Amino acid sequence: MSPIAIEVDSPPQSRSFMRRFAGAPLPWIMPVIVVIGIFYLYPVIDVFRLSFTNATLIGDNQDYTLGSITNALSSPQLPDILWATLIFVGGSVIGQQILGIAVAVVVIRGEKRGLFGTTILRTTALVAWVVPGIAGGIIWQMLFSEAPYGALNSILRLMHMPVVAWLSDPAIAPWSTLISNIWRGTAFSMVVMYAALKSIDPSLYEAAEVDGATASQQFFFVTLPQLRAAILVNMILITIQTVNTFDAIITLTGGGPGRATEVISLYVFNIVFRNYDLSGGSVLSVLMLIISLGLAFVYASFLPKEEEQ
Amino acid sequence: MSGRTGTRLGDAMSYLFMLIMFVFFAGPLTYLLSMAMRDKREIYRGAARYIPNNPTIDNFITVLNNSYFPIYLWNGLKLAALSGLGVLIVALPAAYAFSRFQFRGKGLSMMGLLLFQMISPLVIMVPLYRYMNRLGLLDTHFAVVMVYIALGVPLATWLLKSTVDGIPRSLDEAAMIDGCNRFSVFWRIVLPLSAPGIASVFIITVIAGWSQFLVPFLLLTKNDLMPIGVGIFNFRGMQTDSSIQLLAAACLIAVVPAIVAFLSLQRLILGAMTSGAVKG
Repeated sequence: MSPIAIEVDSPPQSRSFMRRFAGAPLPWIMPVIVVIGIFYLYPVIDVFRLSFTNATLIGDNQDYTLGSITNALSSPQLPDILWATLIFVGGSVIGQQILGIAVAVVVIRGEKRGLFGTTILRTTALVAWVVPGIAGGIIWQMLFSEAPYGALNSILRLMHMPVVAWLSDPAIAPWSTLISNIWRGTAFSMVVMYAALKSIDPSLYEAAEVDGATASQQFFFVTLPQLRAAILVNMILITIQTVNTFDAIITLTGGGPGRATEVISLYVFNIVFRNYDLSGGSVLSVLMLIISLGLAFVYASFLPKEEEQ
Repeated sequence: MSGRTGTRLGDAMSYLFMLIMFVFFAGPLTYLLSMAMRDKREIYRGAARYIPNNPTIDNFITVLNNSYFPIYLWNGLKLAALSGLGVLIVALPAAYAFSRFQFRGKGLSMMGLLLFQMISPLVIMVPLYRYMNRLGLLDTHFAVVMVYIALGVPLATWLLKSTVDGIPRSLDEAAMIDGCNRFSVFWRIVLPLSAPGIASVFIITVIAGWSQFLVPFLLLTKNDLMPIGVGIFNFRGMQTDSSIQLLAAACLIAVVPAIVAFLSLQRLILGAMTSGAVKG
């Protein structure tokens, strides 16, 4: 910057006002502060406040009480909901992470070797990622359906194999929702892993080669350690993403059979907007927030420190 | 010698894995297409009629004629595009400031932005619904667009900051020596040079808006205000097992615009994601 030069052709009043105004960071950041303040910060504070009330969605009367918190947390359904959430989130994160690395590694290898179809595979995975959640649920409903048009069961029938109750057996339905979510979310991990793999210094592999490391040794002792930071950041992002997902489940199973696939986000949605229980929903929203942030901090604590890098 | 067979085996394994993955990712979408092009009798043949004997586009015509679908599509497009514009207007100046100014709490506020990104829209929708209701803003596209903008701003600011970071500061300085103030540097130099990043952030926001379900589902009640996401959800509720081909056609109509938008700017979007979100 050259303040001297600016002083030299000093302009009329309005321009110097403009300069002073534009030279401070605050006016530039103001729009973000206002939008985040009104639409994020304020509602979040209000959710905390509402969880200490007995507010409902209809009617304005509310008293401050701890009753909603004890009610929501002692609800007999909560353990089932948390279990369903654990399977859905844990399975999605593990599945998307492993598949994301695998696809990225194979795509990079394929590009290097000039194999046919690497670009097609990468693009197809990304297309699945762009599909809206509601549509994703509908698509997988058609695949898992036990009606005659259901794709998977009709394939099993063609092969004279017993059909599977993909969506109506409480023991199987959670895995079905998991598969559909892995389908939708893997591309994101793939992009992150692809970028991270590309930024690994090739000389590390040359050194490993000289030392006589096999391909799998190179993967476990060079690739994985180099990917550590990217994997953890990716896990934070997909964990939060998955904890918050519910539109894909609404259309696929609606939370059923029973409550087998009712994850916490869907439960909150139902409590607030079907039971009109605002305070109970707020308590569970806070719980959801704590789960997301808690997991994010756990992952973050495994991140390599700056000086290690 | 063993090295070469090893490479060839590796190639074979790669092809096998790529084939399985391709079936996994493309299979569901092609089945949707197959269902959407069947007549009533063929839907009961399941996967046995993967390629329908009598492919038809009647289902698409029925959906586009008989329902609110054109309105849903228009609403979806309008809300998504306006939110894309809004996100740029809000996030661009901030991205410039985060890139070019040094000030106290800069790192902290950038991290804070990411924290907001972690909050589920569900959490903020509870109070927002109440206040939109009090303000009389329920059933307005204005309220929906504003919430979309808020949801998109944190990520957009990060992505745009890394775009601006990529523009050499020496250009700013040269322009300032020539008498430009901060605003005209931003307007004449930074914005044009950020065009690729701006385009990708715009399209990412538009696709996210197109996929939105929760916000319009809660803030809108009138059918003629609904965007496509809520539209197909409601449409699904009206279908039975015997009209599943219509649902498939409707679903495909909702999916295709997002895919086309993404594919046409794939390179830009991936570039922005890998340089900004990941390494940022």
